[in-house]
Amino acid sequence: MSFIELKHIGKKYANSDKNAVTDFNLEINEKEFIAFVGPSGCGKSTTLRMIAGFEEITEGELYIDGVKMNEVAPRDRGISMVFQNYALYPHMTVEKNISYGLKNMKVPKDVIKKKVDWVIDILGLEEYRYRKPKNLSGGQRQRVALGRAIVKDQKVFLMDEPLSNLDAKLRVSMRNEISKLHRSLGSTTIYVTHDQVEAMTMADRIVIMKDGVIQQISKPMDLYEHPQNKFVAGFIGSPQMNFYDVTVNGEEMTFADGSKMTLPKATAEKLSEHKGELILGIRGEDIKFDSQNIDVYKQNSQQAVIENTEIMGNENNLYFQFGGALTVARVSKYEVCQIGDRVEFVFMPHKMHFFDRETEQAI
Amino acid sequence: MLTKRKRISNWILVAVLIVLSLFFLFPVIWMLANSFKTDAQITADMNSAAAFIPPALTGSFLDNYISILTNTSFLRYMLNTLFYAAVLIVLGVIVNGLAGYALAKIKFPFRERWLLIIMLLMIVPMETIITIHFLFVAKLGLLNTVIGYILPMIVNPFNIFLFRQVFISLPDDIYEAAQLDYCSPVKYFFTMVLPMSKSVVATVSVFTFLNVWNDYLWPSLVFTSSDLLTAQIGLNAITSNENTTMGQTLAVITLITIPVIIIYSFFSKQIVEGVVSTGSKEG
Ligand SMILES: Nc1ncnc2c1ncn2[C@@H]1O[C@H](COP(=O)(O)OP(=O)(O)O)[C@@H](O)[C@H]1O
Ligand SMILES: [Mg+2]
Repeated sequence: MSFIELKHIGKKYANSDKNAVTDFNLEINEKEFIAFVGPSGCGKSTTLRMIAGFEEITEGELYIDGVKMNEVAPRDRGISMVFQNYALYPHMTVEKNISYGLKNMKVPKDVIKKKVDWVIDILGLEEYRYRKPKNLSGGQRQRVALGRAIVKDQKVFLMDEPLSNLDAKLRVSMRNEISKLHRSLGSTTIYVTHDQVEAMTMADRIVIMKDGVIQQISKPMDLYEHPQNKFVAGFIGSPQMNFYDVTVNGEEMTFADGSKMTLPKATAEKLSEHKGELILGIRGEDIKFDSQNIDVYKQNSQQAVIENTEIMGNENNLYFQFGGALTVARVSKYEVCQIGDRVEFVFMPHKMHFFDRETEQAI
Repeated sequence: MLTKRKRISNWILVAVLIVLSLFFLFPVIWMLANSFKTDAQITADMNSAAAFIPPALTGSFLDNYISILTNTSFLRYMLNTLFYAAVLIVLGVIVNGLAGYALAKIKFPFRERWLLIIMLLMIVPMETIITIHFLFVAKLGLLNTVIGYILPMIVNPFNIFLFRQVFISLPDDIYEAAQLDYCSPVKYFFTMVLPMSKSVVATVSVFTFLNVWNDYLWPSLVFTSSDLLTAQIGLNAITSNENTTMGQTLAVITLITIPVIIIYSFFSKQIVEGVVSTGSKEG
């Protein structure tokens, strides 16, 4: 049995007529770092709060460490949680915020002191020990919230968008710190975020959700390389994957604007069982402009006029019309292009993703 | 930097305020000055500026006060009232606070109706239900007891509403965090909710104090024993006594006013807050 099990979990809020979460199934191993990711309103927080016990589970069963938790009070579930708005006790100092839970657990004073010292030390809060939350910056508050969660040695760590109130730079450094903490403490972690970068960089496995339904559960790289449907393919990765309505006929693929490409035999075979009307997806970095690749895939090379460029320094995004859609390609900084340039490019054939046009499922 | 025009209008405002406050302060100064005088002196000074000037610091300067504090039970009555106020502040904060908390944060059937009923109670004048309180306390056999006096005074719809308005904006995630920190709901109320809402607790305490201190009707109905009487009743008894001199009367009034002035000067912020958030000065 896995450490945490969610079996057919569903949630319907009393004041709403449709499910916020539907048939959520997930098994989480001990020490695993799981990220729930998805657009705002897809039910991530609801699911997390059902695990925590703050929302009633209206359908299905939740097990933590083999014990059914549906009716167990939050405090008895062996969890600690980091909240989006930190939820620090405003009238208590940093030290008191961190030690409050231990005091209530009737932990001996000297043990509390030792643990609080340890937490304050690893989170670098020594300077702020006697400050109240209102005199701390966002990042420091976040640290206190983390400290309050880790000091109790709970087996499960829940975090709901803990970094969303921080600025971009701080977010990156806190991301690393949380990963580091997770590695050293080894507590099972469920991390909710709408930011795919956070999910990709931190999680062992990602649960990607939409409208309360799990779309895919995979390791980050699998999610990126093998999205199971068009939603996942579009959600993960930046810039977004390019999608085209195409018609496949044997080895010949026709785009909406009449452009044609020849598919490799294996791909054509795989697609032969499906109807000809498909969606082709290809990531920006799998569109190549270099002569080497163009030489190899000569018969499929296409041309377009650059409409816009986004210069990011290390890499640049090129925008152009192709196949009836605005296409974005990601190129290295050495491939310099100007707006208005006519360029030649190829799609890497083995990097193409195909989706059913009706179900949007990957083929 | 203020513009010149703004500065001028500020000065005008200050001038107007000084004149106005002098206007209100004159009676107080008059009272204070004459409370140290004998009746003969008061009459003599009546029509001159001396009426606003205290007498010379001779040995008899505090005579009026000394006779009030030694020959009457007024000190006792003031201490009684302070004690009642303290008890009612503690109980009022707990009871009305818990009720306000429930109305703000706990889901239960007909919560909004309850709130409406409590808000309707705010417009019922105390005097109309005081007979019911009296009969109730009499039936319980609690007339002329401290408990009988305190019991009907604890619940106050104004304060419940005030608490509710403040508690409703407390973030829920703090409660959730506290739950995970093994904090029971009752403990949460006392160690989190009240400390996070210090200013409304102060407001309610101040209102309760003024209410108890200034109340005449209810204690005069409940109490017959002179041991338990409050300052206002003492004031009335002393001032309506034929043997009390004018100077002594003014001394009693000064004594009873002092706590009120202290409260207003220390807690004017809370009083204003209370007035702003309920739209009325209760009491
Ligand atoms: N307390 C609530 N009552 C009713 N509906 C809610 C409540 N909380 C969330 N919802 C709804 O449930 C859905 C999922 O919300 P949520 O779990 O907060 O999404 P996410 O955290 O992924 O942004 C949304 O449609 C939201 O409107
Ligand atoms: Mg959320």
